[in-house]
Amino acid sequence: MGKYRIWIWAGLILAAGLGGCASTPPSAEALAANDPYEQTNRQTLKLNGQIDRYFVIPTVGLYFLVVPEPGRRGVHNFLGNLSLPTIFVNDMLQGELSRAGKSMWRLLINSTVGFGGFLDPASKMGIPGHGEDFGQTLAIWGVDEGPYLMLPFLGPSNPRDAAGLAIDVAIDPTNQIHFKQHIWWDAGRIYFTLLDLRAQNYQTIQGIQRSSVDYYSSLRNLYRQMRAEQIRNGRPIRQDLPDF
Amino acid sequence: MPFSTPFKRRTVLAMFAAPLVLTVPAAAAAPNVAESFVDENIHKGLEILRDKRLSTVQRRDQFEGLLLTLVDVRRIALFTLGQYRRSAPQEDVEAFVNAFKNYAAAAYQSYFAKYTDQTLKVVGSTQRSPTDFIVQTNLVDPSSNQPPAEVDFRVRTDTGKPVLVDVAYQGIWLSLEQRDQFVAFLGQNNGNVRTLIAHLSDLAANLGKPVSQQ
Repeated sequence: MGKYRIWIWAGLILAAGLGGCASTPPSAEALAANDPYEQTNRQTLKLNGQIDRYFVIPTVGLYFLVVPEPGRRGVHNFLGNLSLPTIFVNDMLQGELSRAGKSMWRLLINSTVGFGGFLDPASKMGIPGHGEDFGQTLAIWGVDEGPYLMLPFLGPSNPRDAAGLAIDVAIDPTNQIHFKQHIWWDAGRIYFTLLDLRAQNYQTIQGIQRSSVDYYSSLRNLYRQMRAEQIRNGRPIRQDLPDF
Repeated sequence: MPFSTPFKRRTVLAMFAAPLVLTVPAAAAAPNVAESFVDENIHKGLEILRDKRLSTVQRRDQFEGLLLTLVDVRRIALFTLGQYRRSAPQEDVEAFVNAFKNYAAAAYQSYFAKYTDQTLKVVGSTQRSPTDFIVQTNLVDPSSNQPPAEVDFRVRTDTGKPVLVDVAYQGIWLSLEQRDQFVAFLGQNNGNVRTLIAHLSDLAANLGKPVSQQ
């Protein structure tokens, strides 16, 4: 099963991309915004909104009700610890040795002293977490992001980040450990990852929806700026700011 | 068989151990007029939002009053119109600037109100041109062991006194995001700035209400 997982992801991403190709001809604004599949993307955002409204938000509400804050923090820490090997590999592929060292220390400390990653003693010891993924690695290697995509279930993306996600799934060591009923482990991990992500960002997303003139283009811009920031690994300040 | 020779073992060990011994160098910074401007005035804004003695209306009015003295709202408003600034009638542009003032005050208050329990520390600045600075600050949450959030303020001094023209939270610039939204909205509404003004006015009124009443 494990070796087919990558193809399932790739299929999903390809389906999203081909769906985009089937849309009406792009407007001049859409082309200027590097978003030729805007009409399809907006439909996908609506679909994601319905999934969010009728499935994710009620589940997040239940999660907040049933699991107290320390428990939710433990789940967040545990999931973060599971992604550390992938982060470490991407740190190394980007030549970020210092950050790779931090990822490795975090994995060693939190997996042992942190009871399998449920606690985060590494942060208290001055080794805070950071994110890294293969989409960022591709960007560092000079791969262009391509047009904006709104993926079903997964949200804002682009061909580079979508391909990166597939590679991250493939290189994740937990996907190389084969045991019976592995599919339940996969399903549980994906479910809790989405739940944790939505729980962490619940107020932020609500704030964006409340203050947006056009939620779709707001998300598109925020995603692009956020990814650019992640690829830069934070400061220094970007050089391409426009003049006012 | 993997790692079967001493050389391979050493290579693999070195590959994994090298990152563990490397450290990140600390950055240095020097104060300037833009840093002092941000340091003094942002704290004033947070103090207003923190002041429990103020009523909702008093807090809004005081925050808006301070904001309009610190921020070059007109410059930001014109920037966010993008290419439609040139094609729209002048009276529509002026009406948009006024509507944007109300929207910006409500939006900025909404953003900053989330961080009143945190402290902001100026950590340095970058001078992009003789009159264009980016002041870097760290937003420290005393209840969290996570690294501080990076908040940057863009300050221009070409009008004779420092003014804020943009703010970035974790590298995301607010004016860039607003311009993309407004241009997209106008693109879908035949470039009609009056439709955008009506929409902004509704949003500003809505942002002023508590979440439960929206």
